[in-house]
Amino acid sequence: MASASALQFNVEAECSTTKARTGLMKLPHYNVRTPVFMPVGTQGTMKGLLPEQLEDLDCEIILGNTYHLGNRPGINVLQKAGGLHNFMGWKRALLTDSGGFQMVSLLKLAEITEEGVKFRSPYDNSEIMLTPEKSIEIQNSIGADIIMQLDDVVRTTFQDYDRIKEATERTSRWLDRCLKAHKRPFDQSIFPIVQGLLNKDLRIQSATEHMTKQVNGFAIGGLSGGEAKDDFWPIVTLGTDLLHRDKPRYLMGVGVAIDLVICVALGVDMFDCVFPTRTARFGCALVTRGQLNLKQKQYETDLNPIDKDCNCSTCKTYTRAYLHCVVSVETVACHLISVHNISFQMHLMKTMRDNIKNGTFPQYVKTFMKEVYNDGKYPTWIIKSLLSVGINILEN
Amino acid sequence: MRFTVENSESGRLGCLRDFERSPYTSLETPTSALLAQAGSVVHLTADVLARVFKTPHLLWLPLTSCYQLEAGTKAQGDGIAKFSGLPQHITCATFQNISDNLPTGHFELDKVPLWTKNGKKMITAERYMELMEIFKPDIILAIADGRIALDEGPKRIFKSVERTQKMLDICVEKYKESKALHSSGLVGVIVGAGDLRRLEKSIKYTLKHKENLIGISLNGIGDCSDQILTTPVKRLEDIFRTVAALVPPEMLKILEGCWYPNVIVTAIEHGWDVFDGSLPLKMTNMGYALRLNCDINKPILSVYALDMKLKRYNNTFTPLLKGCECLTCKKHSRAYIHHLLVTKEMLASVLLNIHNLHNFDQLFIKAREHIALKTFHLFKQHIIQQCLMIEPLETSTTNQPVQSQQQQKKFCAKSLNNNTEGS
Repeated sequence: MASASALQFNVEAECSTTKARTGLMKLPHYNVRTPVFMPVGTQGTMKGLLPEQLEDLDCEIILGNTYHLGNRPGINVLQKAGGLHNFMGWKRALLTDSGGFQMVSLLKLAEITEEGVKFRSPYDNSEIMLTPEKSIEIQNSIGADIIMQLDDVVRTTFQDYDRIKEATERTSRWLDRCLKAHKRPFDQSIFPIVQGLLNKDLRIQSATEHMTKQVNGFAIGGLSGGEAKDDFWPIVTLGTDLLHRDKPRYLMGVGVAIDLVICVALGVDMFDCVFPTRTARFGCALVTRGQLNLKQKQYETDLNPIDKDCNCSTCKTYTRAYLHCVVSVETVACHLISVHNISFQMHLMKTMRDNIKNGTFPQYVKTFMKEVYNDGKYPTWIIKSLLSVGINILEN
Repeated sequence: MRFTVENSESGRLGCLRDFERSPYTSLETPTSALLAQAGSVVHLTADVLARVFKTPHLLWLPLTSCYQLEAGTKAQGDGIAKFSGLPQHITCATFQNISDNLPTGHFELDKVPLWTKNGKKMITAERYMELMEIFKPDIILAIADGRIALDEGPKRIFKSVERTQKMLDICVEKYKESKALHSSGLVGVIVGAGDLRRLEKSIKYTLKHKENLIGISLNGIGDCSDQILTTPVKRLEDIFRTVAALVPPEMLKILEGCWYPNVIVTAIEHGWDVFDGSLPLKMTNMGYALRLNCDINKPILSVYALDMKLKRYNNTFTPLLKGCECLTCKKHSRAYIHHLLVTKEMLASVLLNIHNLHNFDQLFIKAREHIALKTFHLFKQHIIQQCLMIEPLETSTTNQPVQSQQQQKKFCAKSLNNNTEGS
């Protein structure tokens, strides 16, 4: 089922202390260096940025949303265009989600049965059934390098054990149907999604089941949905302990800098999140210590760039004072801050890759955390999660 | 800075040069500026603009949206071009965009209302020139009471001429006194076009300051885009002729406003040099792609603008304009741009504006070529013909071609209603 022509993953260096590793993931459209952050371009575009700008920012793989693309422009147009790559003019790698997450996030009236997810289209109010087969059919038309299985999504904060168990087991059954329906195994890799929410036994059951399949990589789903950080990291580290060492591990929906550093230390290779581009539209620029809300009056005459060490075109050209004048007024403000925020994410991942390669990753993590929490008041989850992989940030 | 010009029978070729900020830059005229908002070419960041235009262009900066840049530009002290991240471009500041559909507001003696993002500000000529000393634009259009319709009542036109004259006196005085502005060029604004007698008076008064002015800008010919759409070209041509006859040929002539290409080529014929670039942006914001056919040897096949929101483009994998060399057309299809418009994605405006600015720029490049070859009359006919074309109506009921009769009627009715305001 899984074809080496669709994905080859080589771990090039591993941290000798933590579970962090860096490698090269060869995909049909591009060779992606991991750990990687994948910006989200929901509807076949990255929030006002040209594909050329994304290339300049060193984006190697971006995300598209199956649910949205299946509605607009629709399968027929995408097929006629020769896939999403051609349609949007993006030559590098793409990943599409299964559409399952949107069922939960967007649709109140979704009804989930063994067959699939039944819901009313918000576009024309017609009844639509998204089955595992349908999801793969759409994703085959979109033509992304990596495609995701349809999973039975339950809100992370959901408590009912029976429902969580049902969803976990159904996700495994749907995986079989997705793999069976897959028409392009030679140039698209399906990633199964490990489910089970915060229940360790169900997570083990899900991962064990999925690892019996011939696939090129795995995703850890059902996290980053409002659960406590103390509940979040043990599930991540459990996942990376369980999953094959020689296959990429993708943690869905995580993209805040601190989380990225911790989860790379826990052995995750791929991340995605709407956060950097969404926060940009609200006028917030990412910096190591958090974010600057450029709308604030204090930036009115601040002639510094967002970050003086940043090499992005926004920081090279514009002051905080100028951005302050245009945020929430001009569309260019969104574009300028999106450029910076994506650059910030890309730079962070590159720094981690370099440190893993150089054997300096544990020291880097300490320095990073010290910069973020310069008062030394580290949250317990950070202390504990890092301690679990051999970094004691309380000692120098 | 200097403006040099070579007059010809039909249209003229000029050059803006010797800018203190960028001594090696020269801009050939006739040309269109790039309309900016808050110092940025609308929808385009500096790095995207650099991909679209490799050479310096003229940036058009209405104070309406630049007003908010005062504190930051002042703190930096290097003028608005630098502060807005576009230091290599030439800047031209004006009080407002006369095509913006804004309330008329009430006037006070010696003050003109400015509609900023924080509401109405009453601006005096002194205050205007104080802002100019901070922004340090290469070209300054004097403050004027110029956003009035051609059909305004005589009293309103009279007031507009009076107020504009008084304010020009102050602008010139402040300009002469200012060290910061010694290398900027000042442009006098002519108003009163609704009444040829008043227009002549305004021109003559403005020319009293001739030795301190590099040119004139024609205002008082419209108060919002809807009204501009319905003005008969014949009437505008009479105004162009009157102005051209009275203004010395060595002076720069500017036409502000969102005029259709037929008006623009007519103005070029009568010796106009600079336009403010409202049209391509308006098209972009309406979701239209400009497709001016600027090659007189190519047959005219369709109207010069396409409504990219129309469903029929959702399956069309051709560029906006066949053979167009812009960044958008070299890479993206109509289907993709249609998709971006339907999904209200910001990239739609970015890609459309890249194309529209490029296509509009071609109009001026070709106009200059034809003036040089003394074939401008052929080019003008070629452009006017495209403006007369009407898209077949069965394509969509919501999509009226830009100059259909129905739309003209609608706009006529609107502008008649508008005329009762503010007089």
